Amino acid sequence: MKRLLILSLFIACAVTAKAQQNYDVSLIPKQLLPYASSVIRYSDEVVEISDIGAQTRRIKKAITIFNRSGDEDAEILVWHDKNTSIKYIKGFVYNSSGNVTAKISERNFEDAYAGNNFSLYEDTRVMHFKPAVVDYPYTVEYEYETRDKQTLSLASWMPASSTNTAVEKSSFTVICRPNFNIRYKEMNLPAKVQTGTNKDGMATYSWLVNNLKATRQEPYSPNPETFLPMVKIAPVNFRYGAYTGSFNNWNELGKWVYNSLLVGRQALSPATIANIKELTKDIPDEKQRAKKIYEYMQQRTRYISIQIGIGGYRPFPADDVDRLSYGDCKALVNYTQALLAAANIKSYYCVVNAGSRKVNVDPDFATINDGNHIILCLPFKNDTTWLECTSQKMPFGYLGDFTDDRTVLACTPEGGVLLHTPKYTAEKNIQLRKATLKLDSAGEVSGSMKTLYKGTQYENQENLTYESPADQLKEIKEAYAINNLDVGKLKFEKVKDINPELSEELQFSARDYASVANNKLHFTPNIANKTRSIRDIRNRTTDVCIQRGYTDEDEIVYTLPAGNYQYEKKPLLIAINKPFGTYMAIMNLTGNKLVYKRTIKLIDGTYDKETYADLVKFFEDVADADNYNATLVKQ
Amino acid sequence: MTEKTIGLYHFMKRKLLSLASAIFALCTSVNAQDFDYGKFSYDELNSKSYKNDTSAHAVVLQEYGNARIGDADRITLEFDYHVKIKIFDAKGYANGNIEIPIRVNSNSGEEVSEIEGITYYTNEKGEAVKEQLSPKNVFTVKQNTYWNTVRFAMPALHEGCVIEYKYHLKSPYIQEFRKWDFQSDIPKVYSEYKVQLPAVYNYKISLRGVLKMLEGGKYKPELERECFSIGGIKADCSRFIFAMKDIPAFKEEEYMTSKNNFLSAIYFELEDYTNLNTGSKVKLSKEWRDVDRELRSDESFGSQLKKKDFFKEKLIPVLAGKTAPLEKAQAVYHFIQKNIKWNHFYAIYSFDGIRKAFEKHTGNVADVNLALVVALKSAGYDAEPVLISTRENGFITKLYPVLTEFNYLIAKIDIEGKTYFLDATDPLLGFGTLPMRCMNDQGRVFSLDKPSYWADITKQTESGTYVLDFKLQENGKLKGTISSILTGYDAYRKRIEISKFNTVDEYVENYDERMPRMKILKSDVKNVDSLDRGVIEYYEVEIDLYDNLDSKKLTFNPFLLHRIAENPFKLEERTYPVDLGVASTDRVSLNIELPANYKIEYSPKNVGLTLPDNGGRFVTNFETIGNKFSFSHITQFNKPVYASSEYPYLKELYNQIIQAQKVDLVFTKG
Repeated sequence: MKRLLILSLFIACAVTAKAQQNYDVSLIPKQLLPYASSVIRYSDEVVEISDIGAQTRRIKKAITIFNRSGDEDAEILVWHDKNTSIKYIKGFVYNSSGNVTAKISERNFEDAYAGNNFSLYEDTRVMHFKPAVVDYPYTVEYEYETRDKQTLSLASWMPASSTNTAVEKSSFTVICRPNFNIRYKEMNLPAKVQTGTNKDGMATYSWLVNNLKATRQEPYSPNPETFLPMVKIAPVNFRYGAYTGSFNNWNELGKWVYNSLLVGRQALSPATIANIKELTKDIPDEKQRAKKIYEYMQQRTRYISIQIGIGGYRPFPADDVDRLSYGDCKALVNYTQALLAAANIKSYYCVVNAGSRKVNVDPDFATINDGNHIILCLPFKNDTTWLECTSQKMPFGYLGDFTDDRTVLACTPEGGVLLHTPKYTAEKNIQLRKATLKLDSAGEVSGSMKTLYKGTQYENQENLTYESPADQLKEIKEAYAINNLDVGKLKFEKVKDINPELSEELQFSARDYASVANNKLHFTPNIANKTRSIRDIRNRTTDVCIQRGYTDEDEIVYTLPAGNYQYEKKPLLIAINKPFGTYMAIMNLTGNKLVYKRTIKLIDGTYDKETYADLVKFFEDVADADNYNATLVKQ
Repeated sequence: MTEKTIGLYHFMKRKLLSLASAIFALCTSVNAQDFDYGKFSYDELNSKSYKNDTSAHAVVLQEYGNARIGDADRITLEFDYHVKIKIFDAKGYANGNIEIPIRVNSNSGEEVSEIEGITYYTNEKGEAVKEQLSPKNVFTVKQNTYWNTVRFAMPALHEGCVIEYKYHLKSPYIQEFRKWDFQSDIPKVYSEYKVQLPAVYNYKISLRGVLKMLEGGKYKPELERECFSIGGIKADCSRFIFAMKDIPAFKEEEYMTSKNNFLSAIYFELEDYTNLNTGSKVKLSKEWRDVDRELRSDESFGSQLKKKDFFKEKLIPVLAGKTAPLEKAQAVYHFIQKNIKWNHFYAIYSFDGIRKAFEKHTGNVADVNLALVVALKSAGYDAEPVLISTRENGFITKLYPVLTEFNYLIAKIDIEGKTYFLDATDPLLGFGTLPMRCMNDQGRVFSLDKPSYWADITKQTESGTYVLDFKLQENGKLKGTISSILTGYDAYRKRIEISKFNTVDEYVENYDERMPRMKILKSDVKNVDSLDRGVIEYYEVEIDLYDNLDSKKLTFNPFLLHRIAENPFKLEERTYPVDLGVASTDRVSLNIELPANYKIEYSPKNVGLTLPDNGGRFVTNFETIGNKFSFSHITQFNKPVYASSEYPYLKELYNQIIQAQKVDLVFTKG
């Protein structure tokens, strides 16, 4: 009897809460206010998997907006596509004391195309509406339901994903039939899952967070997944349209991708196969054959992205790419794979998180949501070679900073295998510069400057090499901050290799480089490589993450106008040595020769947050030394 | 139709304002034809570069367009487009991704059909091959409520290939006849636009840009007999062939207004048409007085201006206690600015009335600013709406009214002999400051009872004045204050910057974090929300200048604030005017007291540079008294727009500023 009573009390409470939440702004805990332009009063996300091939998502959310910079957080965005339909959207706007001032209904919304800019076509669309409220603070409360005809991809929960937004309360619930198993991974959560069974006999998994302070954008911060609360979920058995499958780990998911999405997509016309055989018949070395085929593929394709339904996961047939000469990353990788197969070269279709931030495919948790790009892996006997198939100009075997140094999923006939792409270390990402320059008595500088770019720095000026000489001359002026730059000659040479190199030779003059007055020369010896200081962060919360290291060396020899010169002020001499990097700059004057040398090395890695103050100081000192203005007096 | 009627077509060169009536040859033959589809030449396929522009990654070999009024039950504009493009290298591949924007609305809209395309390329065996565009690879994207795009990627692009495609477009919007861009970002060998206008539709035609059209021969306008029929009634057409050859690529430059102002293109505006059933002529926009009359009675324009009473009650608390005319007008301006949020749509017509916009707290430009005009009228001012064209929309024709060229509406008000232009769409703008997008030549001022007229949009200004007072401490640190006052756009930009933070304190914290070697000890930021005043900032700071004062000689660069490291003008030549949009003044004065035993050994020479025609200046002034010195510099640009002939002077002024900044001053211990 007693037990029953408690239960009914609970129900009563729940009903009251549903009927009227109090959105009075004064009820927001004070500790949530710093840096917050908005506060999520509550967010309740429910995913209900009632069937192996269908999921329903119900989102309820109330967010208080404090000022104009928070307005964008009031925008309601509901994505939908071929598989996803919107059942309803509704809501209310409240003023600062929590009284309703407006009602939101579906007809307030506009439906717009939401494909990526780089795509020709995608089926993604968005219903969007931003309430226009003129008195701050205000609260927007809304709820919507979407139904999705697939269970392969289950959205993860990230309650505090945007900066400058605090969270009062946020919950996530997965409801599914008891025999529908899910896997989940909890990250940076204060409390573990609560599991149970609801009144309909469905299994429930719930997560809850309270009172998360607003975060700020912090430079050099690590991957948000390493510090923000998050829950990832994935099905064991799933259905996507006509496709069904099951996976518990990467091996099984990789196997499913291979068997269901890739097999049978690689047929090529006999003519193309013959073509490839002809092209490679005199090349005995497997790697050289692969290079030939890769370059053949590059010459006859371009990147065009079209994503519709399962086409977001499955490549177009190789034969289509062969005929149309275009495709997205999946299609171009699959096509290259087919071409290589025609020359008996084995390769793996690999899922990767591309972008300059290095993000691994999570080794502990297999999900179709990991990865946003496909690259190709060639598992040669003694070395593994990687190919980026969407570029017409990338050297064979070179990945650059888009997919370097990260764990990827190779989808092989034997199942999924986690591999790691090559790393370009600080020692490999090199920019070497040597210049011999003359300063004349009017302050004009002239001479020649040679620069060699390697590793990820190969791409610094590579784009320029595809321009006409006339356009190169124009654009090089933007690349160098040398005023009055007048280019006599500009020449590039490339070694298109697995470790590519680009060399640049610039012959130039620039009037008024030095300011000349009263027998004094004022100029900046560091002519072409200046670093800026970085923003300090008081009370930093995240570790310091340097994604990629590099090494730059500059050596510049100036011949001054005839005569003997002396320093007017202390000559430049600085050497800094830190765990994350080193810097050295020095100048040497003998007679009318001034030699300037500079070396900077930044070492990639994750350092504790206390290191940030050091990093700020490092760049401050570097920026000062880089801008050192020499004053030389003629005797 | 008589020749006289046809003679009404006039052809005008923009800006030159020369009016030439077209002389017609009577002719029934149609000698301007689309070029053959599906044919290529080996010369085209084998060419390696374009002789007139070797830097081009692609060139239009031939381009043909035809526009006419369709003779069906529903009057439509029928437009055919056909182009052939040579692509030299992979950088030109973007020309193979086609996007055709089409306007739509709920019940009718433009339709694209008959899309065909072919790519010609040389295969590995050296054979010329064709690949057809497949209709299943053509996508229609419903962009939003107003626009769709038809998109396709040409197949089988190879370096050196030639692509060809064509389509038909049917449009219900005959008022804006299809314009034609002769110039684009790639060069063109030949571009031709054939236009057949039924004599019952009278369009004004104007050409922009500096390039010349081909003349004589087939390019002479001709009359085509009975080319058009509607409901069994036949009408003649005049046929124009507008063409250019060897058209250079259009290259945008920094600091320029809309490229539409300079791009060679031909524009049409429907002037009047004859109703064939009644035989009466329907004028659309012949004279300003016609436009004035139409706008006055327009439900979305003139009628809105009569809704003064709507604001009567609402303004009572807003105006309470205010007496000065300017103060009252400012209060009304800020009231509208706060209460109607702009939805980011440009318009010259109210969407669903100012009343609804006010109640919903949102509206387009016309909703916001018509509401402003009405509210000001309600407060007793003679405010007027002003139609303008935004910078990116380009300049407006002044010769005759072209209403479709306007895309924006602002308000004008005279208070105590001073004219103010107002735009309430931006919540951070002060009274009388217009956003940069409005700074474009002239606007047309309307009123309910007087004829409309042109008015110059007031030149906008910005200024920043900074005073730095420091004392060099024995520990090598500079300690003192930085105070500044910003006005005009400088203040506006500062407010935008501050508004990104939740509080002024957070802004100051960020400023402190961004300034290397500087620590803010105390701060005071004033007038952030008083939009009609300058933003005043005051900081007590400490700057780590030297590690110590041990050395006998110390050097110091007096340009502590606003150093210009790079000349923004890098190219040798300039084709188009340099449009900065605003006149600006920047003054910095620095006062430093050195420790008593120091004196200044070397000081920079004073610099005084001016631009011709009082266009601007850079002046420095150094003064020293004992162990104190003061250094001030002024950088001033008096014009919002500089002609391309003034470009070398502007560039040199920056060069000299950078030169002056290199010189350090030297202190010595006594």
